[in-house]
Amino acid sequence: MTKHWLRRIAAGTALGAVLAATGLAHAADQVTLNWALWDWAATPYYQPLIDAYEAAHPDVKITYTDLGSADYDTVLQTQLTGGSSDLDVITIKDIPGYANLISANLLTPLDDYIKAQNIDPKIYGGVLDSLTVDGKVYSLPFRSDFWLLYYNKDLFDKAGVPYPTNDMTLDQFADMARKVTSGFGADKVYGTHFHVWRSVVQLPAVFDGKHTVVDGNYDFLKPYYERVLKLQDEGVVMSYSQLKTSNTHYSGPFYNQQIASMPMGSWFIATNIAKVKTGESKAVHWGLAKYPHPDGVPAGSTASTVTGLSVAANSKHQQAALDFVKFVSGPEGAAVVAKTGTFPAITNDEVLKTITSTPGFPDDQQSKDALVTTSRVLEIPVSPIAPQIDLVLSRAHDAIMTGSETIDQGIADMNKGVAELQKK
Amino acid sequence: MSSVADTTYDQSRPAAATRRPRQWRKSLVAYSFIAPNFLGFTIFTLGPILFSFALAFLHWDGSNPITFAGLDNFWRLFNDSAFITAFWNTILYTALSVPLTLVCALGLAMLVNQRIPGRNFLRAAMFFPYVASLVAVAVVWNMLFNPEMGPVNMVLYTLGVDPKALPRWAADRNWAMITVVLFGVWKSMGYYMVIYLAGLQGINRDLYEAASIDGAGAWQRFVYVTLPQLGPTTLFVTVMLTIQSFKVFDQIYLLTQGGPGTSTLVLVYHIYNEAFISWDLGYSSMVALVLFFVVLTVTIVQFRYTRQQTT
Repeated sequence: MTKHWLRRIAAGTALGAVLAATGLAHAADQVTLNWALWDWAATPYYQPLIDAYEAAHPDVKITYTDLGSADYDTVLQTQLTGGSSDLDVITIKDIPGYANLISANLLTPLDDYIKAQNIDPKIYGGVLDSLTVDGKVYSLPFRSDFWLLYYNKDLFDKAGVPYPTNDMTLDQFADMARKVTSGFGADKVYGTHFHVWRSVVQLPAVFDGKHTVVDGNYDFLKPYYERVLKLQDEGVVMSYSQLKTSNTHYSGPFYNQQIASMPMGSWFIATNIAKVKTGESKAVHWGLAKYPHPDGVPAGSTASTVTGLSVAANSKHQQAALDFVKFVSGPEGAAVVAKTGTFPAITNDEVLKTITSTPGFPDDQQSKDALVTTSRVLEIPVSPIAPQIDLVLSRAHDAIMTGSETIDQGIADMNKGVAELQKK
Repeated sequence: MSSVADTTYDQSRPAAATRRPRQWRKSLVAYSFIAPNFLGFTIFTLGPILFSFALAFLHWDGSNPITFAGLDNFWRLFNDSAFITAFWNTILYTALSVPLTLVCALGLAMLVNQRIPGRNFLRAAMFFPYVASLVAVAVVWNMLFNPEMGPVNMVLYTLGVDPKALPRWAADRNWAMITVVLFGVWKSMGYYMVIYLAGLQGINRDLYEAASIDGAGAWQRFVYVTLPQLGPTTLFVTVMLTIQSFKVFDQIYLLTQGGPGTSTLVLVYHIYNEAFISWDLGYSSMVALVLFFVVLTVTIVQFRYTRQQTT
């Protein structure tokens, strides 16, 4: 009886070993790459990118791990820090997360590969420079979004107010928002909408390129807070506290025609097109305008965010992962991304044409022109203390916008908090 | 345990030689019973705790090699305004929430200890917040206390509170802590009510009878019979509540994210930020160490104080 049992185990082990060996042999010609990303289901371009790559490279299979968008940076870094080699291709969601991954040595530097493959940095505009840390670049951008102004044509028509133009100062924009505000209670239409992010208020202040949000002195933000708080007091925008405590997503008020305009990133173009199609968005007649600019700054100045791809330092398939990154961030990937109405990092006339001819894109000329920008600054420059600065600025922003602190107190908090970080 | 064993040896010295192996075997059996639990505790709790103590004196970001920090992390505490704010906020939270929860839990326990109709339903209803999903409950709570259209402010308004004087709850620096405390009280009072209920039912009925015969009224019976009899229960509840309050994190993460500004930033939240936003594991362990010693001190003081009272 016992011997029988032992023999069976021996047979099982042998069989297992044979199977494992076959598996290894199979794995040698078929590479599987695991791609760390967020919001798989809500993002239109992941699957087309994978399909396009697999079609061109039958020996490579791409799988993905969805880490969710809310705590993406934290979850990602925890997993990589644990020494896991499960992830090969890493999506870079924002600059603070990128800075953390670099200082933890979790990403592979790409400089040698870029040189070997003759990848021209010029196709990305200046973006590659801004992703360079201590002379090394760790990520190739595949998406680059910028900020613009969305508006609801029906609401402007109803109020008899002319549509926003592609050359508006922030003060003109504020006056326009006041004019289009109307109604009470459930019928209230707000002139514009500032989502709870600190960037919504702070970004126009860095359009001129004279200041950045990692400077250490934030006195230059004062007029921007004054303008926004005034609109909030006048009831032209929904109150910050209201949005914060009710966890309102910015898309809801736009879909439901509660707001006439909204400064937001270009990623929302594809979303609204899709939601109009499903009937979820009632903002069927909508348009785009360039982001309103501060006095003395040329129209078409805006801020941008970059989404990049990197290779995990622990990945066991470095070469294959590098090749995938090159494909997605290169011209082939850009064409696939643009077809979903999303802005790839490589922007040229062809890409713009693809996006503006997406069914559902506003058909007026001004909306098309709104996509042409004159200058773009990165929301937050890469700095080793970018994540901590982000935290300090967001806290002070929260205090100012809820009226818990005066603008001066809030800015003093920013100056003091960032000075502490710089001393460290 | 050892004193029991010693007396056994003293009483039966001649038999000690034969007893010792048996005693030893008995202990071994006992140890084998606690081994699985203790093993888990060592690997998953004790080990990490000791490691984090060591980390407090090191620099580590989770990936790069660990370097020795000496007292760097300690001195940094005094220059970190967020830490100082978090420290006082934690004390404030504890000072508000412990007595309030204690009173509410005892009050509820007294109430459902009466023979009132629907008593079992009430007990279950009071206990419900403790077992309900915190995330769902926090969302509902934020809606109830919404400063502009929340039912709580609507009720206050109809009661005649001036609309301008209505509290802005989680959106106001001065009210945010109170909002979080109220949530904590509501969330945990049901649990401590059950503990008090057990305490109340353990009190000998004769004591009340004797007190009544001596002419004690309801209030006197409460002060001179109920409260002293509940002494040990109150100590337990106070200690547990204090520890729980010092550790508060989840409800603040869900309700205010430490805001507005830093008005509800507490120590554990600061530890989280330093560890998982800034990836400064050494410094965050130092903050955790401070929290550990604060809780330890407060607990020792509470035990001493109550021992003095009872003797």
